[in-house]
Amino acid sequence: MSGLRVLAVDDEPRALIDVQRLLESSPRVGYVDTAGGGREALVKLGQGSYDALFLDVRMPEIEGLELARLLRRFDDPPGVVFLTGHADAAVEAFEVQALDFLVKPVTRERLDAALGRIEAWRSRRAGAPAAPAPSAPEVVALDNPTGAGKRLVRLETISYVDADGDYARIHAADGDFVLRAPLSQLEEDWGSAGFARVHRAHLVNLNHAIELRSQPNGTAVLSMRDGTEIPVARRTVAALRRRLKA
Amino acid sequence: MSAQAQAPTAGNGAPPISAHFVNNVLAAAASYIDDDPDLARDVLAELGQFLSYLLRDDRGAVAVSQELAHTATYLRLQQARFPGRITTDLPAPEALAATRVAPGAIQGPIAEALGRRLRERAGACALTVRPAQGGLEVELAGEDGAPAERLAIALGDVSEATA
Repeated sequence: MSGLRVLAVDDEPRALIDVQRLLESSPRVGYVDTAGGGREALVKLGQGSYDALFLDVRMPEIEGLELARLLRRFDDPPGVVFLTGHADAAVEAFEVQALDFLVKPVTRERLDAALGRIEAWRSRRAGAPAAPAPSAPEVVALDNPTGAGKRLVRLETISYVDADGDYARIHAADGDFVLRAPLSQLEEDWGSAGFARVHRAHLVNLNHAIELRSQPNGTAVLSMRDGTEIPVARRTVAALRRRLKA
Repeated sequence: MSAQAQAPTAGNGAPPISAHFVNNVLAAAASYIDDDPDLARDVLAELGQFLSYLLRDDRGAVAVSQELAHTATYLRLQQARFPGRITTDLPAPEALAATRVAPGAIQGPIAEALGRRLRERAGACALTVRPAQGGLEVELAGEDGAPAERLAIALGDVSEATA
């Protein structure tokens, strides 16, 4: 059978029926199974093989986040997409490496995007070596600079990151955010998504870079899509040029 | 278990609207569209009533009968989300003293207790609301044999308190 094998889990029976029908109508999906709670889901996960788990966050017995953490023990865990009425739980969801986070009731277009992410994730896993390097998260939880809580930001929308003391100042399509993390950590975590350290104080998403211009003193300037110019340290210019040509 | 719920005063404005609740009611309504379109429409209409009550321009005190009707709407929406899981027994409006209360004075504490119950325990539950001295007594009993949760809702006349 072609198409994704999906297990949808929700303690709200009507919401479960709704997502089941949506999933079954998608050409990306070949099979849909359902579970009314975390325990039933665990039994089904132990008995069958699924590509994706659509999971409510708050459920009695076993909460969705707890279930997602348990999946780490599986040899070949399904990709997790949270589907919930709790928009506030999104930050926790991405801490357990969820592929996507959907708020009920979800549109078909948004659901299709999530299924597309699962397909891409499955393809990457199928082609990956036995011991793959840790992959970058698709979405990261960042702090609002005003202190007004967290915001979920797709990694691909981040253009560059500046070091700012103990914090990283992150420039994304949706605005500027902060994160308490050293650039070295972000470089390690996000490197596989195209981020490179070009300067002691700057980490850039090379997918957003449009031009590398050499400077007379041996340094360079990297122009970004949004018009920002990022200084490139002398010692990284050659490696960066090679990487951009590759 | 027994608890005392303080009714919000009229000066507090309307109680906050839970996006979680609204989203899940909408998901439930969506699920009824194919197999019971009339019910889907009813759920949407009741959600409209629920939101209109909370979002109306005049957020002053309301008649207790209005607040009781709002609570009944809320409970029907919960029953639409969880069919067969919640039974309710509310008093007739005329059984209550003709006071004016803050919006959410009854629905707010009941929503909190019922929401917690649904989150934390599986299975059906029965919600009973009875008139009591100075307000209402709420009992939330489950089929799991655990002791029923009891809640007292004080319903002081807001118009007197603020006069």
